[in-house]
Amino acid sequence: MQESLAPRGGTLAPRAWVVWSLAAVTVALVSDNPVYRGLVALVALNVLLVSLPPGRRLGTLGVTVLVAAALAALINVLASHTGANALVRLPAGLPLVGGPLTLESLAFGGALGLGLVAALLAVAPLALVLEPHDVVDAMPASLERTGVAVATSLNLVSGFGRTFTEVRDAQRMRGWKPGGLRSWNEVLVPTVLTAIEDSVRLAEAMEARAFGAGRRTSYAAPSFRRLDAVVVVAALSAAALFVGLRLAGAPMDWYPYPTLSLPPVHPLLVVGCLGLALPAVVGRPE
Amino acid sequence: MRRRALFLPAALLAALASVAPVAPTVPACAAAGSNHAALVVEHGDGSVVTRCVAFAADAISGEELLNVSGVAWSSQTFGGFGDAVCALDTEPAHYVDCPGKDRYWAVFVARGGGAWQLASVGISTLMLHGGDAAGFRYVPASGVPDAPVSPVGVCAAAPAQTPRQSVAASAATANAATASTATAPPIALRTPVAANPTSAAAAATAALALSPVTDSIVAATAPPGPRVPAPSPSGDPDPGLLLAAGVGGGLAGLAVLRFLSGRRSRR
Repeated sequence: MQESLAPRGGTLAPRAWVVWSLAAVTVALVSDNPVYRGLVALVALNVLLVSLPPGRRLGTLGVTVLVAAALAALINVLASHTGANALVRLPAGLPLVGGPLTLESLAFGGALGLGLVAALLAVAPLALVLEPHDVVDAMPASLERTGVAVATSLNLVSGFGRTFTEVRDAQRMRGWKPGGLRSWNEVLVPTVLTAIEDSVRLAEAMEARAFGAGRRTSYAAPSFRRLDAVVVVAALSAAALFVGLRLAGAPMDWYPYPTLSLPPVHPLLVVGCLGLALPAVVGRPE
Repeated sequence: MRRRALFLPAALLAALASVAPVAPTVPACAAAGSNHAALVVEHGDGSVVTRCVAFAADAISGEELLNVSGVAWSSQTFGGFGDAVCALDTEPAHYVDCPGKDRYWAVFVARGGGAWQLASVGISTLMLHGGDAAGFRYVPASGVPDAPVSPVGVCAAAPAQTPRQSVAASAATANAATASTATAPPIALRTPVAANPTSAAAAATAALALSPVTDSIVAATAPPGPRVPAPSPSGDPDPGLLLAAGVGGGLAGLAVLRFLSGRRSRR
């Protein structure tokens, strides 16, 4: 018999977190307006700061999103030479980057980066607030096995990186030095073999724990309370508002070319973004 | 796309059926619609083409305004931004890049008889209501584009000029359109432009060859679009933008406070 315990993801049930994240990503990506993307990023940051469990930090995530945003802006500035206001002119002979670097392309790159930041912060609670098994449990029954497969695959990515570092360090201790492309065979081949071995071991462990024998069970069934329902309804309303206005052809997007201009902002959509802030208001229990 | 497919034959039918002289005292397109929007096209050499478009619907898109005006044009779609004007009224006669690297068509909008403001959305997304005006000026790619000549008087002065043409753009209202003319200049309707720039340029050139350059009144019935406050890139501050700035500032302040209090509690 299952017990009903308080939700592990702060005050919200894992399913509420999953719906909230999906809605926030939808709002962030349904238009390329930097105002809405910035608001979603700020809302998600507030939600994370309130809901982050003790012992978890935002440092790595912060560095990741800032690097991603800076790269997006940089690539757009260097590759796109359209725009009325040139900041710098690189020699035209330079392949790809040659030509004027414009304020407009910098602004558009910034908007792209802001979209990345908003989307990453929106899905961050699934990794930082919830445990991996909470996310798997929050999936609908039909997607449970897919969720496990995806989670396992993502886990192998970090495992591959760890193995690469270990093998490289071990080879260095044996006198290996990185030279040409061929020299990396001595690191890559053992890394791939170890990754395959790890995958086989993981599959055997999952089979030993009766993976695939039936629906995954758990000791405690996370409860879905009225508060979770309110958060879900608010998040879905925000996403529906954005998608609905997009389908109706309302001007939501922003395009700074050829001359920079302020993005169009609809007050109703600003309120819609605020609907995503409900988890921050709910807070985290002590 | 389906709307455009319906729109073009309807406009063609109406154009063929309803070209006639216009009474000088009554707005020529009054029967086709109570709302009027002005179109101002200023070429690179300074020559100006104006049109007054009447429409029965609440609003008309910039794309529909151009289609009904009879001024030939071609465009390229830029995702959610909408369509950007590549060529307008034979300028440029040929193009490869859109917008052009040296010169391009800057799009302006004047709301309710106000001053020109640079449009921040494409013409397919730009919505015009009665009394609004859309302006196009062929400007150099560098620097802030100058606005075209004022739209004041375009819709008021046009009925007194002859000859005129009137184009009703709805099959449903084609018979109701009252205007006709004895001297019917060739009418250039927009040719849909493919994504391929080469074929787009060819199509544009074909369409532009038919373009008349005369002041006229044209009429249309346009489907109503979603009423969203128009952006104001310059001039009066956009209330939505002000609200977003306030909300964003508040959220940023809260995030900083929470971050600092979290650090303090960890110590």
